[in-house]
Amino acid sequence: MSELINKIRQFFASQTIDLFIGYKKGRFGEGKPAFFTKPEQLKELVFDDKCIVNLAVYLRKPELKKFSKIGILANFGTLRALLQLAAENQIVDGQYLIFTVVDGKVLEFTNLKAIEEYVSKNLPKPNPERVALLKEIESKPREERWDWWTRELSSCIRCYACRAACPLCYCEQCLVECNQPQWVEVPPTGIGNLEWHIVRAMHLAGRCIGCGECEAACPMEIPIGLLTQKLNMTIISNFGQIPGTKLEPNYALSTFKVDDKENFIR
Amino acid sequence: MQEFEPKIVAFVCNWCTYAGADLAGTSRIKYATNVRIVRFPCTGRIDYMLILKAFQNGADGVIVSGCHPNDCHYTSGNFHARRRWIVFNELLELLGFDKRRLFFSWVSAAEGAKWANLVNEVVTEVRKLGPFNEYEELSKINVNSIGEICNV
Amino acid sequence: MARIGVFVCHCGENISSTVDCAKVAEIASNYPGVVYSIDYKYMCSDPGQNLIKEAIQKHKLTGVVVAACSPRMHEPTFRKATAEAGINPYLCEMANLREHCSWVHFREDSTTEKAAELVRVLVEKVKHNEELYPIKVPITKTALVIGGGIGGIQAALDIANSGHKVIMVEKNPSIGGKMAQLSETFPTLDCSQCILTPRMVEVAQHPNITLYTYAEVESVDGFIGNFKVTIRQKAKSVDHKACTGCGLCIEKCPIKKIPDEFNAGLGNRAAIYVPFPQAVPNKPVIDRNNCTYFLKGKCGLCNKVCPADAIHYEQEDEFIKVDVGAIVAATGFDIKHSDFLPEYGYGKYPDVIDGLQFERLASASGPTLGVLKRPSDGKEPESVVFIACAGSRDPAKGIPYCSKICCMYTAKHAMLFKHKNHHGNATVFYMDIRAGGKMYDEFVRRAIEEDDVNYIRGRVSRIYEKNGKLIVCGVDTLLNSRSVEIEADLVVLATAAVANSDSEELAQKLHISYDQYHFFSEAHPKLRPVETNTAGIMLAGACQAPKDIPDTVSQASGTAAKVVALFSQDELTREPLIAYVNNNTCVGCFLCQSVCPYLAIEKEEIRRRDGTLVKTVAKINPGLCQGCGTCVALCRSKSIDIHGYTNRQIYAEVSALFNRREYAGV
Repeated sequence: MSELINKIRQFFASQTIDLFIGYKKGRFGEGKPAFFTKPEQLKELVFDDKCIVNLAVYLRKPELKKFSKIGILANFGTLRALLQLAAENQIVDGQYLIFTVVDGKVLEFTNLKAIEEYVSKNLPKPNPERVALLKEIESKPREERWDWWTRELSSCIRCYACRAACPLCYCEQCLVECNQPQWVEVPPTGIGNLEWHIVRAMHLAGRCIGCGECEAACPMEIPIGLLTQKLNMTIISNFGQIPGTKLEPNYALSTFKVDDKENFIR
Repeated sequence: MQEFEPKIVAFVCNWCTYAGADLAGTSRIKYATNVRIVRFPCTGRIDYMLILKAFQNGADGVIVSGCHPNDCHYTSGNFHARRRWIVFNELLELLGFDKRRLFFSWVSAAEGAKWANLVNEVVTEVRKLGPFNEYEELSKINVNSIGEICNV
Repeated sequence: MARIGVFVCHCGENISSTVDCAKVAEIASNYPGVVYSIDYKYMCSDPGQNLIKEAIQKHKLTGVVVAACSPRMHEPTFRKATAEAGINPYLCEMANLREHCSWVHFREDSTTEKAAELVRVLVEKVKHNEELYPIKVPITKTALVIGGGIGGIQAALDIANSGHKVIMVEKNPSIGGKMAQLSETFPTLDCSQCILTPRMVEVAQHPNITLYTYAEVESVDGFIGNFKVTIRQKAKSVDHKACTGCGLCIEKCPIKKIPDEFNAGLGNRAAIYVPFPQAVPNKPVIDRNNCTYFLKGKCGLCNKVCPADAIHYEQEDEFIKVDVGAIVAATGFDIKHSDFLPEYGYGKYPDVIDGLQFERLASASGPTLGVLKRPSDGKEPESVVFIACAGSRDPAKGIPYCSKICCMYTAKHAMLFKHKNHHGNATVFYMDIRAGGKMYDEFVRRAIEEDDVNYIRGRVSRIYEKNGKLIVCGVDTLLNSRSVEIEADLVVLATAAVANSDSEELAQKLHISYDQYHFFSEAHPKLRPVETNTAGIMLAGACQAPKDIPDTVSQASGTAAKVVALFSQDELTREPLIAYVNNNTCVGCFLCQSVCPYLAIEKEEIRRRDGTLVKTVAKINPGLCQGCGTCVALCRSKSIDIHGYTNRQIYAEVSALFNRREYAGV
């Protein structure tokens, strides 16, 4: 850690960066996102497995516009989000200095190409517990599945914390705010909730980098991450395109193959 | 008692299925009156949200149909649509949505008979399933449960 | 407030026999926003259209729903009538009561009910219709013709003679195409080169035509009226400006054993060559794949002997960028070559040849100077068997279609043989004789009756060699399917006509569609046979499907007429039913870019007055967009919409479907 802090201090000193985004210890021991603009603040910097927040979510915030070059201490999800954001034309390569720590060793990425190489070599397998949970839900009879999900989604209060936490939900006007026409019912009714979570899952299908921030942010503890996870698994197994691994656009839903397989079209 | 008459909506592309339905007409092939066609320029234009809206507005079954692969007037709209449907279909499957009420099909401008058969099949199948109450009930039940949450 | 008029057509009795039109009009009059509703016997007739026009003016209508036949039938009619009444034509919609209702249902309550609902859906849609105006696009009045065969030549000359510039690109060193290889042409038996070469010269000398031979289309961007094409001028290694065409280099070239493409492999040519004596341009190119200088770095004989110092080994491929307004694809066809018919010994026995090889053998300018000599030993054949449908109409060979030209050229071949050898035996095996065309059947009858060609209806199962003869085993289906064996000195296969091997690649460059056999697809098989689905790109000749010379020439002239019609206007008017972007909400993710089949989505920078960049958003090029709307459904923030099928319009339609709730929910 001290190696990293020293490095960042030097970058501040040489004015290579004017903002560093990382984590400090929160009230409950969690890694809390922190914004460092002066080298002396860096003593608070921490990085461990409790630092799960995806810091890429801040990069499109208007408050960050005044900084010319930003350092980021990225966990794996943040690295992938950076790639996906670059593929979606949302961040500019060269504006960021990115660090991560693996087994105590500091890795430094001066450009996104380097992240692309690193990520493609280190892609994790899906969490087996989550896969098992998905399997369990999928093995239920249809009616039970419907009841289970409608019950789960009925507690949604439509706070949109899932949207705020997601590094890839960056639209300036979300579809739920569209009222000409009103695509999604505003009050947290059953239909409105279902529609919102379908929209969210469909919008992230082929783009979701699987950081789990949406579910972690949900105050009602709805397992909404399962929806995006399922669609990603579908996309990877059907179309072979893995979001957040490439700098170039690699969006499964804006490409096609003539022989894409399906079994439900009459 | 009067038999249940399902309400069926069909979202079709202008160039193939709409024309196929026109051909069924010029060929005077008779089929069930239950279907209402909404015309789109291409299957690529068909938004999955509209499918949900159709169910919300009382459809008991929805048909989505366009040009066969390689036949798209715009060369690839149907291929993009197919990918979307594959993903959307998986999502509905996971949610336990009653997918028996959602029908995807390719009907070309030359397949007037296929269109008529498709409508008849869909009407028969959905008639067996009965009215689609799950969607409406969803509204009622959830509003209550939100009330409970608020009371806690 | 919306003021909608509903006009229910009886279509004589076509609609009114199963739908109660008066009742539909009455129900519609109660729909919110409807201020006028009426039914009439023939809405498309003059009095019917006047009814609409008068109502628009009298009731100050803001929208019109004509409930009649399919909009695919009469939408233009009623939109025109609407415009004539003084309101925007795009404020008119049609409910399809005939094809989608009255014709497909019996007379019962539910049919009328459905008709009324269809009207309601369209009433709700039309409330959200906007005034739209046709799009104007400027036109570059130069045409690109790809391919210098008879199709390309005809199209180019017709366009050039109408006063427009033409750029012709031919991949071979000379124009002329397949027709230049033919000996005589059916049904007149006049010499192919005699009628073709004057046309070739005309192309070369025409002030309006720029000719690029030994060149290919590298890339095509843009859209109708405004294509940007890059032409790859392959290195000829000969400076054609300096070259006098004296032919000394060809004479001296030591590499002379290269199978001659022009003679269908039956003759040889040098590594520096002119494909045939009447070539246009009549100046050589170096075949770098066979030239010793390019393979081994030495020789250089041609350079030494050239009196004009025209040999330039260092020449490189050149890329020429041109702007054109229309493109004619006239790239022709190919025939199936050897290894395709092992049972006929094609490729195994030198005396089993294809139709194009026979043309060269029979041609006065061919390798045998018009004396029919068989390839194996140069003997003049006494008995020749011609096999039609060698591969065509054979699903097992993957070619279920008819190659169209073979019946006629086989009759011609048999005749040419009989004219050269009056006592020889000519036998034709055929499946059917397809001789539809002016003077065509007479031509075939002449072969059979006057020239004594023996026509046997049946297939050939096998050909084998025995004592220097080819034994053709077949069946005569008109004689109780008796098997027949014929001894032949030469066998000519009318092998299937197929698309060029690179046609798929070219189609992708042009963004035009092609069929499963890789022939280019016309926009409509009957009514738009010379256009493609990509506006501004037309077809001429056998690149679309196998065609004979008269058909190719007629299509080429048809295509030229389309091009000239396009060029007759300074601006192109297009239907405004295209996509558009809401700059305020677009976040510029550009994931929509790759769904567009027409590459119509571009980047646009939004800047403040002082020039600072606010953001980059998507922009639809109105010249390229064809209005499929695939980008609309993809856009997450609904920042793209499409005129004519807007989100609000379709949402309103869906909301009005079943009248279950208040459908004013938009």
